[in-house]
Amino acid sequence: MNTVFKNHVLLHPNSLGNNLSNWLSSYGGSGLIKALQQPEAIIPLLKEAGLRGLGGSGFPTWKKWQAVAQQGSDTDKYLICNGNEDEPGTFKDAYLMSRSPNQVIEGALISAVANGTNRIVFYINPEQDKALASMREAVVQWQASELLQRTEAVTGKSIEFQVMASSGHYIGGEETAAIESVEGKFPFPRGKPPYPAQSGVNGCPTLVNNIETLANIPHLLRNGAHWFQKLGKGLSSGTKLYCLSGDVLYPGVYELPMGTPLSELIYIHGGGMLLEKKLKAVFTGGVSSTILTPKDLDVPLDFDSVRIRGSSLGTGAMIVVSEGTGIVRQVTEYVNFYAHSSCGQCPSCKTGTYYISQLLNRIDTGQAGNQDLDTLINLCAILPGSGRCHLLDGAIKIVDSSLFHFKDEYQHSLSHSFNSKAKTEL
Amino acid sequence: MRSSSNMSDHSGLTYTQALNNYLQLKEFPARELDMDEQQLLNTFHPDYRSETITTLNVGPNKGERCHTQLAELLQADSRIDASDLAGVRIEETDVLVIGGGGAGCAAALTAAESGARVILATKLRLGDSNTIMAEGGIQASVQKQDTLQAHYNDTWKAGYKLADKTLVKQLVTDGPETIRWLIQQGMQFDLDSAGDLLTRRAGGTSASRVVHFRDYTGLEMMRVLRESVYNHAAIEVRNYAPAVELLSNESGHCAGAILSSLEDSHFLQIKARTVIIATGGIGRLHLNDFPTSNHFGATGDGLVLAYRLGARLRDLDSFQYHPTGVAYPVHLSGTLITEGLRSAGAYIINAQGQRFVDELKPRDIVAAAIIRECREGRGVAEQDFRGVWLDTAGLENRNPGILQQRFPKLVQLGLKSRIDIRKHPMLIYPTLHYQNGGVIIDKNGQSTVPGLYCVGEVSGGIHGRNRLMGNALLEIISFGRKAGADAARQRQNRGHKKITLDHISRLRRELMQNHMPMQFSSPLLFPDYTRRAEADDDPEQPDHPGMFDL
Repeated sequence: MNTVFKNHVLLHPNSLGNNLSNWLSSYGGSGLIKALQQPEAIIPLLKEAGLRGLGGSGFPTWKKWQAVAQQGSDTDKYLICNGNEDEPGTFKDAYLMSRSPNQVIEGALISAVANGTNRIVFYINPEQDKALASMREAVVQWQASELLQRTEAVTGKSIEFQVMASSGHYIGGEETAAIESVEGKFPFPRGKPPYPAQSGVNGCPTLVNNIETLANIPHLLRNGAHWFQKLGKGLSSGTKLYCLSGDVLYPGVYELPMGTPLSELIYIHGGGMLLEKKLKAVFTGGVSSTILTPKDLDVPLDFDSVRIRGSSLGTGAMIVVSEGTGIVRQVTEYVNFYAHSSCGQCPSCKTGTYYISQLLNRIDTGQAGNQDLDTLINLCAILPGSGRCHLLDGAIKIVDSSLFHFKDEYQHSLSHSFNSKAKTEL
Repeated sequence: MRSSSNMSDHSGLTYTQALNNYLQLKEFPARELDMDEQQLLNTFHPDYRSETITTLNVGPNKGERCHTQLAELLQADSRIDASDLAGVRIEETDVLVIGGGGAGCAAALTAAESGARVILATKLRLGDSNTIMAEGGIQASVQKQDTLQAHYNDTWKAGYKLADKTLVKQLVTDGPETIRWLIQQGMQFDLDSAGDLLTRRAGGTSASRVVHFRDYTGLEMMRVLRESVYNHAAIEVRNYAPAVELLSNESGHCAGAILSSLEDSHFLQIKARTVIIATGGIGRLHLNDFPTSNHFGATGDGLVLAYRLGARLRDLDSFQYHPTGVAYPVHLSGTLITEGLRSAGAYIINAQGQRFVDELKPRDIVAAAIIRECREGRGVAEQDFRGVWLDTAGLENRNPGILQQRFPKLVQLGLKSRIDIRKHPMLIYPTLHYQNGGVIIDKNGQSTVPGLYCVGEVSGGIHGRNRLMGNALLEIISFGRKAGADAARQRQNRGHKKITLDHISRLRRELMQNHMPMQFSSPLLFPDYTRRAEADDDPEQPDHPGMFDL
């Protein structure tokens, strides 16, 4: 276990625990103090380190920060620490917040120093009671801390914390939807532009960062960009919290170097396949779920390598599916999830996800004909990009990905359907 | 008989010797009980045999005590795999009720009356259940001289003060209303000449509180419920469709079940907002090799399904052995003889013609006392049966005509076997009757898994570690109705986002991690008599519950 242990940063024993003074006496504080000494050096450091958004986008964090930092400092600026995670198979942010809230809060304060974000909102899925309680507890301790006063002195603004439960809708995790939520409205995603960096909560510049991204920042400042780069494998930087679930012996959250091969995650850390069945597919979790197959076992799990395989790393959730599971059924469940989660704002998304879900149900239960598969394929071609947010694209992407890898299963369902039998008899 | 091997250990009188003893005596002196009740239970009650108790290794009750035979089922592999679901027909409903006995019917009717669409799936046919075998009656505090508090105290005390107080309170306060509802449904009860409910007294109680209809109260109840269920437009009945696995949604709520149709061997997936399990008990596992009074379907399926989904169970080492099961004739072995007879004044007499226990003590004491008599050589012991007398003839002598009037079914049963119970006593021996424990529920019958309700014998906590006569029929209707109403209310919730079988992976993972054998599958669905017979022939093969292939 020790070899695994040395890669731990976010889940290192020194990072765990809700007690602020424990945190400050181990890893804590030094990152923020360095930030306070040299505020202008923070964003270049993030750029050099190569930290990317770990909520699924993989967007370089420094670019987001810079966009907010460049806004005038006469108004309030918001930081939404996004812990809404509701994607299938993703549970890392809740894990992090309930066990080690202090590094997240320190990361948020470093953002305040770098970008002037004086209103900090922890936006947490309401079903995660433990995460909510633990963040609230930690925030109270920070509010009384001397470090907060020093930060306020440097930024020249008083810093306000807010821990809020999100609406619990999946779509509430989308950044503009989160902004609507914080404004107290239903989480309808907004069109972009204007980008949140220009006009977010109440028209103020707003930065939306994932919890895991923020948690990395104090460590990055404490140890420097070079250290952070070295943590990753190959060209990637840092570590990643992988959420392993499905048909493996030991599912769970694993902090491993960014770029750890899929096979290592499943067979070494996950203890191998349940009942020693054959691996059939891995669904990666996130806004745009996609499928990896056994031939991708060697893929390093980082944003770019996974993208080259026509898939995406997403939130780092890996849902492992063994031989014997019906892919069409599995995809149907995903699309049902999207159809259920659509906010209904864009007609193409509202009706599109529902229609695809119906088609898939028909195909899966053997009631579809060839024309239904053609319709499905057509929808996958015309629907993407027609919604304000990425929900519809996400639904299409998983269908597309499954059609690409497992078209034979769709055709098998069709050839065994009642409709096609009726046709051949005629 | 499977229990024959145990019998040769104990001496006793032959059936004929004992019958002669009985016929010569006019008076039956009562022998003083020479040990205290706890000692009696410790020494002779089957629950107290430590070799049949094990500790659970997986699931929500990990580390707790459980009967070995039940533990084998709770820790067995699932009967299905995710691959079995490819292409399976899917149906949707608001409330899925699993089990077609009294509790299931009461739940289905109430849910449907509250506006929900209901599917009621049952392993055999609607009404095939232990409910129809309930003879004695229903406890409900309906008499002027009785109080709810007295009913509460009796139930609480009989359960060794281990029951869940909230549940007992709800049970007793719901009693009169439950009887009213049953009458509204059309159920008949025995009435006095003024048209008031007649009651009798149950063992271990302080008042005459059991309302009844002849000696087939449960059958009458089922007759009415069955008709109501079939006539309700919002309830769809699926006969011969046992549930083999539950489904859960993305956050672990119960979201339906997989049924296995016995008629066409197909699986069927039912998506439901809520599921009510009313599958009854475990008698057909023949714990400790006892005969059972239970229906053929009582194989503990509901316990297994709920446990896998994460529901906590309780009192898994506590079962009720009804003192008076038929011991002779052998083909009726285990059949229940109602406690009503003892309520009416029938004695229990050993082979030497002595009374040895107060017949109206709680069931576990009386059962332990009977087992003791037999084990200490004061019972009838033949090659394939053993027992003591239930003195029906003496009761008839003291109250001429009472048997035909109040226990017509029993008289009929005797005559069919050429025994006139008005002239001869009946040979009886304790029979495995009731599972005291079960799924932990709240006052709406909801288990620790949201969206999963458990009512009737499958639930635990109402009776503590021993149940009073008549409280089971009350429980199934009272809690069945509560669960039905609450489940119907939950249909307003947002639907499930994702339907999964994740709990099966969790189970398999735990079994593998604990190095448990995985060669057996559960739920059992049907008793494994053929396997057991084979196992008896082959001494090498361990005796275990196995899989009955569909």
